[in-house]
Amino acid sequence: MTPAQSETWFTGAGLVSALGAGVAETLAALRRPPGAPRDLTVPLGAGVESIPFLGRDSAVDEDPTQRLFRMAEAAAREAISAAGLTPAQLRTTALLVGTSSLDISITEDAFARDLQSGDAHPLMTNSSMGHLGRVMAKHLGVGGVDLTINTACTASANALVYGEQLVRSGRASHALVLGIELFNRTTALGFKGLDLFSPHGMRPFDKDRRGIVLGEACAAVVIGPTRPNDNAFRLAGSANLCDTHGISAANPDGSTVAAVINQALDLAGVASRDVRAVKSHGTASLLNDEAEAAGLKRVFGDAMPTICALKPFIGHTFGACGLTELVMMCAAASEGFVPGTPGISPAPGDLGIGITQAPTPVGRGAFLLNYFGFGGNNTALVVSNG
Amino acid sequence: MAERAIFIRGLGGYYAEVAETPPELGPLVKETLGAQVRRIGRFVQLALIGAARSLVGQTPPQDTGVYLTSGRGDMEMTIDVMNQLYRDGQPPRPLSFINTVSNSACFYIAKQFGLRGRSAFVCNSHFSFEAALYLAMLDMEAGVTSSALVGSVDIALAPLDVHRRRLRLAPDTPVAEGSHWLWLQPGDASQPGPRVTSMEMLADGDALRQWMQAHAGDGAIVAIGQCAIADEVTAIAAGVGVTRSFDYRDGRAYYDSQSGDAAAAFLSRRPEGATTLLHVNCDAEGRFAVFAVKAG
Repeated sequence: MTPAQSETWFTGAGLVSALGAGVAETLAALRRPPGAPRDLTVPLGAGVESIPFLGRDSAVDEDPTQRLFRMAEAAAREAISAAGLTPAQLRTTALLVGTSSLDISITEDAFARDLQSGDAHPLMTNSSMGHLGRVMAKHLGVGGVDLTINTACTASANALVYGEQLVRSGRASHALVLGIELFNRTTALGFKGLDLFSPHGMRPFDKDRRGIVLGEACAAVVIGPTRPNDNAFRLAGSANLCDTHGISAANPDGSTVAAVINQALDLAGVASRDVRAVKSHGTASLLNDEAEAAGLKRVFGDAMPTICALKPFIGHTFGACGLTELVMMCAAASEGFVPGTPGISPAPGDLGIGITQAPTPVGRGAFLLNYFGFGGNNTALVVSNG
Repeated sequence: MAERAIFIRGLGGYYAEVAETPPELGPLVKETLGAQVRRIGRFVQLALIGAARSLVGQTPPQDTGVYLTSGRGDMEMTIDVMNQLYRDGQPPRPLSFINTVSNSACFYIAKQFGLRGRSAFVCNSHFSFEAALYLAMLDMEAGVTSSALVGSVDIALAPLDVHRRRLRLAPDTPVAEGSHWLWLQPGDASQPGPRVTSMEMLADGDALRQWMQAHAGDGAIVAIGQCAIADEVTAIAAGVGVTRSFDYRDGRAYYDSQSGDAAAAFLSRRPEGATTLLHVNCDAEGRFAVFAVKAG
């Protein structure tokens, strides 16, 4: 039997990122140009590596267990408070966690300590992939099902999609969706090994694009069946498709990117001409920007809507970027603007994409958000406050 | 419109107890797929073997989604990367790092079988296989997926004494590897064929009792998942008239996602008169994950 279908809305949000703690601090920062990354010194063997970083303080110094739960719970509790969820409602709420690295920072720390004593093996403290979600649910008093989605850089966008389906189908009263991605050496030094870090910040679609800056964030969104205000956003449509062109980059001809965008727009019932603005994935890497630009041109042709990129503000937050950039985009659009990144791709260059240079006025309506991840995982979200 | 059901179009997998050192899987990959697949680790190898065995030469539609789960994921790649970082003091090798991404196994399956649909890797501390089945059923119910390949993969790594410690098992516990897959497709419910008739996550014993009541019938038989308390489940089942049980895990060595094999075991070794399997698993918080499989 198909359960009753109900409307769903984003009823609360929370965010901790390089821009600050809380949605209000984030919103204020989005009216200003992005800050410059700093160099984070990361120990490796007998030496150190310097990693361009946009994140919170104490990335390397604080106990990783404390740091992870302090920041993830701060974002979650902000969203729960904004949504006004009671303890009784939390008991029937589903928890969806989207993350790429799970709690690997805790595992790394334990392994490093064990190595001092001799008999050391990785993954001895915790090897269960569901552990983080289970612990977060217990800490927050969430009693519904907890599911952890682990699909690289699309993870929390996909978690949002399933959270919405659980509420819409009546299987959960609410969904608390979390995007969690905090500094860890595996990610930092893994991308260093791939030579994907940019020495001069993230410059999506720009002729001088050189790659990513390491970011970190915890983001949270509550989805519920009651519209909290006239300006509230909802997930109008979404799509997730597998791109088998390559494991680390989308098809550069744009066909797979266009397919996932078109499917999301179709499911939302939104024509491409009615998209108010696009939040690009914009990793500023050579191949992915090429694929995204080609895909956008296939979908929008010459009638390109306003396009923005949010990673110059916060770096690449990987598994958390789906929810982090959604919270940023919805917060800004609720206030009537799309964030701008001055000096980055000011006019269509070799890829034919220009992005917003300053906070740009925007009305209510449908917004497209793109996400592409390793493993050929492509996701498009259409959100609307129209 | 005709009533719809979720049919099991294919099922199969891999199970092997590991005595000392897990066997090389390359030859089995080649035998199963008809060709070698280069530069993949044990986790992806097992995923490909299991998925191929569930399809047995059939070709699922291109828009088939892949829904994969695991209790511990690709530990081989994660351990390799952590040893490079902390023992060797080197950045991870690029391919090792990329393959630490859990959904890379979904990528290789999609590439192998020409799939372009949804791609999800999901986990839960007690209900790994059920979590993947849950998402697939949600997507098919919502109409966003018209075909789903649902699987669980759990690998074992040498040395096994360390593997057992990692899994919090007693030193002499037999351990195994498993890769179990179902190919599911919605269709006209009036047609014959085995089907998944329900997949739900339930809050407590009362909800389980109601679910059991709704699915009880002459041919119903209950299977106890590996995390469930048998006495509790059999008492609830007996309370609604389901008195027969099916132990598909009898004699099996430990691995995380044993629920993944329940449907295949039931359909291949179905006790006389049993028509519907009611599978019940439980987590440490007293929540239940249940699914029902009806023979065609």
